[in-house]
Order: sequence, then C-alpha cells, then structure tokens
Amino acid sequence: MLALGETAGAAMSRLKPEIERYAAARVAANPGAHGFSGSAEYDDEVRERAVFTAEAGLSFFHLHGEGVGLVLFFASSLVAAVVPGRRSRAALYALLTLGGLFPLGYLVYGAAVLELGRDAGVELAERWILAPFGLAAIAGLVGLAFALARRRL
Amino acid sequence: MTDAGAPTWRLPPRWVLLVAVLSIVAAEVGGGAMARFKVELTRWARDGMLARPGVHGLVGVRDVDERILDEALVKFDAGLRLFHMHAEGMGLVIIATSMVAATVIQRAVARRAIIALLTVGGAGYPVGYLAWSALIPAYGLERSKAIAEWLVWVPFGTATIVALWGLVGCVAWTMLARRRA
Repeated sequence: MLALGETAGAAMSRLKPEIERYAAARVAANPGAHGFSGSAEYDDEVRERAVFTAEAGLSFFHLHGEGVGLVLFFASSLVAAVVPGRRSRAALYALLTLGGLFPLGYLVYGAAVLELGRDAGVELAERWILAPFGLAAIAGLVGLAFALARRRL
Repeated sequence: MTDAGAPTWRLPPRWVLLVAVLSIVAAEVGGGAMARFKVELTRWARDGMLARPGVHGLVGVRDVDERILDEALVKFDAGLRLFHMHAEGMGLVIIATSMVAATVIQRAVARRAIIALLTVGGAGYPVGYLAWSALIPAYGLERSKAIAEWLVWVPFGTATIVALWGLVGCVAWTMLARRRA
C-alpha cells in the first residue's frame, strides 16, 4: 500500500496534464451520467467539477495509501506483540488487512466519478468500498484497543 | 505474544533511525516555525518578489500585481505545509519500511541497498518542498518548481519508489520461498 501510495503521488505530479486530459475525455464520453444540458457554460462547469473530484480521489489515495500503510504496519506489530490466542490474532490481522484496502476506495471514487457522474460515483465508492473497509479497520483497531486494555487490567 | 520461534522485528542501522527521527524533528520545527513566524515569512517572501518584478511578471499596476503576489504567496505557504506533512510522514515511512527490509531481506547487499535508498530518498524528498518555497521569491513559481523537481523530487522520489517496489518484490519472494519449503 505504501508503494502504491508513493507511486500515485509521483504519477499525480508528473502526469497531471495527461490525467486531466483523460478525465475530461471520460466525462465527455459519458454525457448522460454527468447531466450535460447542451449549454456550453453549464457543461464546462460540470466537467471541471468532475475532473476536480477525480483528481481529489487520486490525491486522497496517495495520502491514505501512505497513512493506512503505516497504521497497518504498527497496529499489526502490536497485535503480534500483545494479543493472546492464535484465533484472536488471526481475526485482528484479517480485519486490519481488509482495512488496509480502504485507500483503494479512493481510486474507485476517482474512476467512478468519471464513468457514473459525481454523485453516483461517490456513492458507489462510499457504499461498497470506503464504508466496509473503513469499518473493518475500525473494528480491528477497537479489537486491538480492547486487547491492550485487558492486558493492563 | 507471537508464537515461540516466530521471527521478531530487526532494527535497521542506527544512522537510518537517526535520519528518520531528524526528518520528523525537522518537520515539527518547520510546522512550529510556520505558525510562529507566519507574518515574518510572508513578509520575507513578498519583499523578495517585489525586489524582482521581472521574474514574477509584476507590471506596476496594483490590482494586477496584488493578484500575482497573492498566488505566489499561497504557493509559498503550500510548499512549507507540504514540507511539514511529507517530512513527518516520510520519517515514519523510513522507520517502518527499513524495519521490514532489515527483517525480511536475507542477502546483505540487497538489504543494504534497499535500506540506503529508502533512507536517502525518504529524507531527501520532503526537502524539495522547502527548496521550492525558498526559491519562489528569487526564481518565480514555474522556474522554482522545475529546479525543485529535477534536483530533489525526481531523484529522491524515484529512489524511494524503486526501493519500495524492490521491498515489495523481496517480501513476496520470501513468502513464496517459505511456502515452497
């Protein structure tokens, strides 16, 4: 995830014009999804907003890929060190690893916005990827906190 | 609570940890300085830009010039913020990834090379944002960005990316070798 996050950051910086062109082309290829009206002024504004949202998705992927990668690394090290019981550890590893996939939701967010329109794309990414993987990460961290609290008692 | 006989984390060389901690310290100091000396920093950058009107395309018309100066000052501030954020993040990335490399990579040459690339790339890359900000008053937005890009971001960023994908390959290789054994 760290490697993907870094690579996305570099791509964002080096390939900005290409990414913008691609995003604008995908928006133009899906006029119905974006609610184009035929009025150039309105359509330009819609296109700009969709391209901005797609770029934001890539930027969030870079940021969360790096951050969640580190959280996963340190949290799973703590699980290995303090959680008794092989099954509990396996469950927490599974939850944290699923949570580690959370940043991929932002890649889907960026792509889905271009293909399905802004609102539908954001909703798809939130409902099917960001929310479930985010919940897995939270459940894993809460489980780890619970194990740490039990150890102190 | 790891199983008996399970491998434990190995520390990377001390100099790697020192560089990582120094990066985090520099980020903290940078963040503090940005907040504490915001006015002074902005004044320094503005004075620098006013001293080189040709570089920034200032024309002597207040309305036009103020807009140009504002845009450059926003970028100047963004560079400092990005330095703060990346130096903190990359310090942690160096610690985490060099621990993985020290633990997982068996061959000494590959281990040393990946740890060196991770450390040098990770610590050097954020400095590019500081350089970008510092160069804006003297060289303008585009030229300062090009200088930072080719002298710092591209070489150090490439080192980090190459090392991270090398590490991914080594971890995957170790997992496959263990499964085969």
